[in-house]
Amino acid sequence: MLDAIFEMFKGNMVNIPLIQPIVNALMKIPIVNYIVALILWKPFFAIAILPGLGGILIVLLLMVYWERKLTARVQWRVGPLEVCRPLRGLIQPLADGLRYFFQEVIVHVEAHRPYYVQLPILTFIPVLLPILFIPAGEIVAVRSQYAIQIIVALIALIPITIIAIGWASNNRFAYIGTVREAMMYFAYEIPFVIAVLAMILMYGSGDPYVIVEKQTVPGIVMNPIAFLVFFIATLMATSRLPFEIPEADQEIAFGPFVEYSGILFGIVMTLAYEKMYIMCLLMTILFFGGWSGFAIPLLGDLTPAIWLFVKAVVIMLIMALSRSIYPRFRLDQALRLGWTSMLGISLFSLAIAVVKVWWLG
Amino acid sequence: MKVEKVEFDALSRIIGHLNAISVGVKQAIKPERITTEYPRERRKLPDNFRGLILFEKDRCISCFRCAFICPANAIQMELYDNYYPSIDYSKCIFCHFCVDSCPTTALKQTKIHDVAFKDLDEMVVHTDEMATPPELLREDKITVEYKINGKLVLERKREVEDLIVDVIPVKRIEYHSACVNPQNCLGDALCALICPTNAITVVEEEGRRIMKIDTAKCTGCGLCVRECPTKTLGLVRREG
Repeated sequence: MLDAIFEMFKGNMVNIPLIQPIVNALMKIPIVNYIVALILWKPFFAIAILPGLGGILIVLLLMVYWERKLTARVQWRVGPLEVCRPLRGLIQPLADGLRYFFQEVIVHVEAHRPYYVQLPILTFIPVLLPILFIPAGEIVAVRSQYAIQIIVALIALIPITIIAIGWASNNRFAYIGTVREAMMYFAYEIPFVIAVLAMILMYGSGDPYVIVEKQTVPGIVMNPIAFLVFFIATLMATSRLPFEIPEADQEIAFGPFVEYSGILFGIVMTLAYEKMYIMCLLMTILFFGGWSGFAIPLLGDLTPAIWLFVKAVVIMLIMALSRSIYPRFRLDQALRLGWTSMLGISLFSLAIAVVKVWWLG
Repeated sequence: MKVEKVEFDALSRIIGHLNAISVGVKQAIKPERITTEYPRERRKLPDNFRGLILFEKDRCISCFRCAFICPANAIQMELYDNYYPSIDYSKCIFCHFCVDSCPTTALKQTKIHDVAFKDLDEMVVHTDEMATPPELLREDKITVEYKINGKLVLERKREVEDLIVDVIPVKRIEYHSACVNPQNCLGDALCALICPTNAITVVEEEGRRIMKIDTAKCTGCGLCVRECPTKTLGLVRREG
């Protein structure tokens, strides 16, 4: 039984020429070889390392720092600086994370205790599930013809956990934030789905492999309107600043997450970044040619994963600029934007796709 | 008057967005910020910066001008072998009128502007403490200079600026006090009492008290001139 599993792992391992000698050496050691085979088993590698949890960890450490630093730069400040001065405060998010880790978690009396403690951890389920279906070249957990549709459906689960968190907090700010989150969900979800639909129609398939193969010209050039809708929807979905309505630090003090402290706050705070990461991976696949890029022979199977990751991170870094430029919309303004302009231009992008597919072949 | 709703057309909205983004990108690439990372960097200050005040005892002629001119009453004269100033920094407003009024540049300006005191008592800096600059912990390695030529530009140099300014003593015009209007004299001898160097002596002559001024002893501090109620005395230039 164990041998059969081991053989299964061994038959589907990530091949990286750079570390192959080390892997070969480790595979000779009795117990360690099971662990190494598991880590390098493609489905596990996709979830745990790239583009999965390892990628999320790097993104979190990088994005929090980058966002603060970039906003500070645009606003003529300096930003975090004192933690590790030679690197200009680069490990500030790590220090913050450590602080969250050792801080007391306070569960207040009126909170629904089981849900309040469970939900931040449960939110990892809808965050990690889409990663199952996001392929990076050969590294993929579940291969599906309908991967894009499944990813979009699973991303739609994330707001539900946020709403549940707000409900379990039993706080008026959390309640307001929850309602706002639900409202924003209505505002962006339909244009977002239509934009993805337009791209799927254009490529004629929801299979990421087909989509990447067909992108000789990147999707952003083929249908820039759909990209615009997708971009704004991503900003809305991840509470970036023009649409930072559910969290709204200055009004409702981080909205649904107002009651959290310690490591639980650390987990819920990163939720928006994780969602952003997944949506940027999806954006990379749909609009920026996915994992295509020149091959690096030393990295072998890892090359496409690195390309996908780098592209997604670059998009995220650019997206962070919106925080330093825009003030916050009111809820009604954001809803109006979602249901008029965005819905309109998303339908327009769908029309472009229909015209391109039916009349121009 | 009714306030009307401001309407923007789609084009001006898009132009506004593009403007905002371009400004953001421009600042992200090359920010115009003027922040100095203070303990590590220090702004280059002008030589006449009004900082902490140092005192040189040898130059002082105890003229009290600093104490008289101080608008915050921060300067008290303390008696050692003569009267010398002490400064209460809890009152001092750093106007440097004392430094400007000092005829012999015994009070000197420095560029030290970051001083900490433990308590209010310590803020009264006595004469002997004023002679030496306070202990400084310098972390800065870079000096930042603010330059304005149309636009404010920061110029960073790897150098440590000396905060103690070398004050060249001015070539002082020597005065001594003299009885300019002797007919006014009441003979109250207030000048003789106030004189810090005992240059004025009271002499009885023909049943009147007459003040004799020893010009060799006189430092020209002008205290007697200030004290005289009838404006008998005045400062005159020393001959030769």
